[in-house]
This record gives sequence, C-alpha cells and structure tokens, in this order.
Amino acid sequence: MNKTLRNPYVYLLFVLPTIGLYFLFFIYPVLQSVFYGLTDWDGLTPAKYIGLGNFEKAFKDDDFWISVKNNMYFILFSVFVQVPLIICFSLLISGVKRFQGFYKTTVFLPSILSTSIIGILWQFMYHPSIGLFNKFLGWFGVEPIYWLADPKWAMLSILITNAWQWMGFYIVLVLAAILAIPKEINEAAEIDGATGFQRAYRITTPLIMPIISVVIMLSIAGAMRVVDIVLVMTKGGPAGATEVMASYMVNKAIKYGQYGYGTALSIMIFAIALLLTALYQIAFARRQERVEY
Amino acid sequence: MKKKLITVLTTVTMLSAILSACGGNKNEAAPSTSPSPSPSESSSPSPSDTPSSPAAVERFDVSLRHIQVGELQRFRKAILDEVVKKSEAEVPGAKFEMDAIEDSFNRWTKLPAEMAAGNPPKIFDLFGGPAEGQKYARANKLLDLTPILDELGIKDKFTDYSTFVVDGKVYGLPIGAGSEGWFYNSDILKANNIEVPKTLDELEAAFETLKGKGITPIAMGSQAAWVPFMLINTLISRYAGPDIQAGVADGSRKMTEPEVVAAFAKYGEWVKKGYFTKGELGIDYTGQTNEFIAGKAGFLFDGTWRISTFNEDGTGKALHGKVGYFAMPAVSGGKGDQTAVNYNQNNGYGFSSDVNDNEKAAIKAFIKNLYSEEYQARGFKEDGVLPSMKVDPAKLTSDNPIMSEVLASNAAAGTVFPHFDSLVPGPVNGEFEKQIQNLIAGKASPEKAADEIQKVMDSELAALK
Repeated sequence: MNKTLRNPYVYLLFVLPTIGLYFLFFIYPVLQSVFYGLTDWDGLTPAKYIGLGNFEKAFKDDDFWISVKNNMYFILFSVFVQVPLIICFSLLISGVKRFQGFYKTTVFLPSILSTSIIGILWQFMYHPSIGLFNKFLGWFGVEPIYWLADPKWAMLSILITNAWQWMGFYIVLVLAAILAIPKEINEAAEIDGATGFQRAYRITTPLIMPIISVVIMLSIAGAMRVVDIVLVMTKGGPAGATEVMASYMVNKAIKYGQYGYGTALSIMIFAIALLLTALYQIAFARRQERVEY
Repeated sequence: MKKKLITVLTTVTMLSAILSACGGNKNEAAPSTSPSPSPSESSSPSPSDTPSSPAAVERFDVSLRHIQVGELQRFRKAILDEVVKKSEAEVPGAKFEMDAIEDSFNRWTKLPAEMAAGNPPKIFDLFGGPAEGQKYARANKLLDLTPILDELGIKDKFTDYSTFVVDGKVYGLPIGAGSEGWFYNSDILKANNIEVPKTLDELEAAFETLKGKGITPIAMGSQAAWVPFMLINTLISRYAGPDIQAGVADGSRKMTEPEVVAAFAKYGEWVKKGYFTKGELGIDYTGQTNEFIAGKAGFLFDGTWRISTFNEDGTGKALHGKVGYFAMPAVSGGKGDQTAVNYNQNNGYGFSSDVNDNEKAAIKAFIKNLYSEEYQARGFKEDGVLPSMKVDPAKLTSDNPIMSEVLASNAAAGTVFPHFDSLVPGPVNGEFEKQIQNLIAGKASPEKAADEIQKVMDSELAALK
C-alpha cells in the first residue's frame, strides 16, 4: 500500500475527478464564453465568427462606458465613504461597555435581509411625497426631491442604500479584529496619557490594517458585480443614470438577443475587475506589513 | 502484484463511479420534440395506471405562461381560467400548468432567455413583429398554427394577424385589439370649466389651465419607456402621417423628417412645461394608473384595455361614470389623415414547436375555446378589449359609456396606424425607448433623439440586405 502511494500516478488519479469537475464547471464555460464573445450569436440561430467585432463595438459603445463609470462610483463610494464609516462605527461599538451584542446584531441585520426587501423599503423612504427623507427636509422648507426619478439624485440614492445594506457585514469583520487586539496595548497607551482619539488613530487602526485591506478588497469586488439593488430600485433608470455593467450586459444579451455582444461585455467586465483588483493588490495590499502583537 | 491489484481496483472503482454519474437513462433523456405516438409517453404518468386498464388516461402537463397578473387583469384572468377548464375537460389527461408573470418581465427577460435555452412553455403570451414573434418563428421555435387554423376553420375569422406571419405561415394569434387615446376625468374638467378638447390647441389650453390650478395635467409613469412611447407613437402619426410606422420600418421614410422631429419637440415641450406627473421617470405603469384613479390628474393617455378599470367593480371604481375618452385631436399642418386612430393587434398567444401529439391536442383545444366569438364578445364587454376576430356586430354592444366613445371615435377614423414596436426590429425599439427617456430627462434634443433612432434603423436595414 505504501509503495502504491509512492506512485505519483495514483495521486493524479485521485485529483482527476476534481480536475474534471473544475474543467466542466469553470474552464469549459469560460472558454465557451470567449468563443461566443467572438461571434454574433443571437441565442436563436447558429453563431457566426466575427473576430473582435464585439470588442470593437464595446469600446465605441458610450452607454457601456457610462455603466462602467457608474460602477466606479460604487467603488469610490465604498472606499472613501463606506470604509471610513465602517472603521468609525466599529471603533465606537468596540468601546461600548453595555449592549454591545445588541449593537452588533442591529448593524448586521441589513446584510441578512434580501436585496428586494431593502430596495422596496428604501423606495418608500425615498418616496417624493410620503417618504421619510422628503418629510424631514420639508420641515426645513426644502422642495420635494425626486430621489429615484431625478438623474442627478438617483445614483447617490442607490449608493446610500447599498452602503446601508453591506456596512453591517464589514463592521462585524472589523469589530472582530479590534476585539482581538490585546487589551494591554491600549491600556499601556492610556497609562502613557494617550487620549481616546489618539489610541484609535495611532494604535487600533494601524493594528487592524490587514482586515481593512480585506474589507476594501471585498468592497471593490462587490462594487464590480453590483446589480440586484439597481434592478430592484431603478431598473437602471432614470434614463440610464444608474445602469451598471452587469445590468447593461444582461439587457443587451437577453432583452435585445445580442448574446455574442453580451458575452463579449462579460469578458470585458471580468478583465476590468481583474485589472482593478490586481492594481489594488500591487499598489496597496502587498505593502501591508504583517501585524504581530 | 498486490500493489498492482490495488491500483487496478482503485482505477476501476473510480472510473465506474465517474461513468455511472455521467450516464443516464436513455428513456428518461428522450426529448419531447418528436410527436409521441401514444399518451403513455406523456410527461407525468399516473401512478394508478396499469397495463390491464387501456381506458385509463395518463395525465400530462401543458405549461401555460400568461400575463394576467393582479387586480387590473382579473377579468381577463377569469376568461382564461374558463378556457383552461373547458380545454382540460375536452382533452383527457391534460393539465394546464398556469404560470403568471408580469408582462414586461415575460416579454423582455424570461421568454427571450427561454427561447435561447430552448425550453419555452408550451403555450405563452407573445407579441408579434420582427423583434419578437417573427424572430422566434424564423428560428423554428414556434408552432406553425396554419394546419390547426385550417382544421378548426377559423383562419378567416381574424381581422389581422399579419405581425405573427412568416413566409405565409401563422405562428401566433392576437387575443384582442386595442386603441390608444386620451382618457379624462370629467369631474376635474367640469370643476375647471374645461370642455372636452376637440383640437390640439384646446387640449394644450386644458393642460395649462390644470397646471395653473395645481392639478397634474397628464398622469404619466415613464419608468418603463413603453408607457410614454404610446403617446409619442400617436403624436408622430399625427405630425408625420399614419403611414410613418410602416415607412420607417421598410426604409422608405426617415425618423429625421421634420414632422417626426416636430412630434418629439411637442412631447419635449410638454415635459418642459410640466404637464406630466412630477418624477415620472421613477413611476411605473401601475403608479400612473393609480394617480389617475386617485383623481390627481386630469388626463391619461392609455390603451382601451384600461376601460374595465373604471367599471363599477373595477379597481378604479372611484371614477366609475366619471371617465371619458377621445382620440388624439388633429394637428394643424399635420401630414395625412388626421382622423386616423391607433389600432394594435400585436399581443396574443404563441405555442412552442417542441410539443408531442398530446400537447398539440391540448393546444388545439385551447385555441378552439379561447378564439371563439363568445370570448371575443366577453372580452369586449367585460374588459374593454376590442375583438381581434370578426364578431357579429349585434354581439358587440356595450352599456359602458367609455366603450361607446371608443367605438364612436374608431368609427369616425378614416384609417388606422400601428405601433412602432410591431414593425421595427428589437434594437430599434430599444433605441426608441432609450431616446424617449433621454428626451424626458433633458439629455437629448428632439433632433438628436430622432437622429439616433434613425442611425440604428439604418444599420438594421443594412444588416438585412
């Protein structure tokens, strides 16, 4: 038996089923996508090879680049608004002495709700005449804002809703990292006369940088594939103002039957996502030093 | 020797495991494309069936996708339920599996995806025209209904099913017809001393009066662009003539003609003047109807299928007896017949080409029962759906005052015009929808909107050549 296990072909035999499944469910669909991306397939008639025609079309397609820009808004909002807020809330909750479990549960709650429920809930809050926000602003004499119907406001409205949905999940991650920091470090700083803010800024935040890096990474990945909240709240409207790459691709492929073009767009989305995450890894994540307590 | 044996045994075990997982029962995997010779091959056999009881009939399912969802559609759903019941009684073993889906989701997402995957329901709601019905028919996804219509003797009973015809074969049947025009709240008009408008100037004066009084002149929900498209389609016909849709579709007319641009400009002017519901781009079709029902708007541009909403027992019963209808008034200087009305027979049922004999029998019974004079007349009386078949005029009487106004308006029309979406390819329709929303959002001028649509039309026409 031992001699059998020394035979490298036996190990190959063991991994064959896994490789087979991986090929069937990952490699093969990817290769198939690349193939269809090079055709004018309409989903109904046989596909015809058109070379890089779909990619050329995508580069000239202004609407696609608007949707790419909208995804970038999601990334920028996540990194520059959502992540700082996540850190602030995590620091606040970690400092709470009583009902910490209650706060943790409360902030986590939105991330276990279905996107449809969140979308509809926030649609009510954004409602121009009976919505919470306009009622509140109305007390100060502000004219009703058409949050989801005005191209100027729709994107921001969705960004806020999306942030509300996912912040809790990341807060719990960051909170776990904060609570894992040995108390002695903060206590020593306190004895040395560091204020609460100084301890948070100089000690806690640097120590949780690795997890913040993961949160940023996940936020970027999440922002690249966002689509459900958009479909529920605005369906890409008003007038395409909230169209994101995924919704644009689905529309092109399914609604207009341009499966070849849709597949080419999906490859481009994959490439953009890969590029951004690689850039982030190279520029920031790799520079992080390992934290040793 | 021993290790070799172990290696061989391991290999055999693994390979057999893989092969057994990959293998399948050929009988199970048999496609249902070919007509099954007997009911015993139907999709869901009855457990009680035994070989010694030849009279026993096995149950088989027939999937039926419809769009009669919600309170607004309840009259048509009732008719469909009756037809299904009758058909099930006529075809032993048939069980219609109803699948209700919202119209635009079925039309633009679910059905196209199913067509591409090759698994559409056996019976489904279908729109005709090159973007949908004709495209699926050309890809052999739809059942050729010509022999069934011949057998049932109803081929000549339809007034027009041309948008479902490809190479002389019929692939779909319109369930009814509809006209699109102005509904008005007579209470609001009376309270503001407004007469029912006869000209476009009078109509615009009415809008101005209502706006001045703080009442929304036109209830509009443009979140889905097909809703404002109804009004723009009619405006374009008024300005550019009733043959504009067919002309643009065959390339003999252009969207860039000054008359078409003028129609877009008129719509844009109404948007700028604030005649439509505020925040219309965030309001859906139901929201638009609800705004009119709530008495918050003076006018509503909609199809005649909306008439039953204002029945005594309809969802808009608050407005029962208070709603009137008129066709789009003439435009001074407009091209062509200014009495023409919009008339569409583009929505109905299509059937999958992938059916066996049992399913075909069920489909035949469904067509026989649904496309009858009885249900055409009931659809007209109960739901305000104009008939798509030739029905004895004596049966087409209505106590409904709105319907009487529709009939009078249509009778006075010199000709009819269709909707663009029944004649132009899908990408052109998509560009129309995009540009309409851009026009409303102030992101496109009338000239640019018309120009962009024409560009897509040109490329589609070039591709056809």
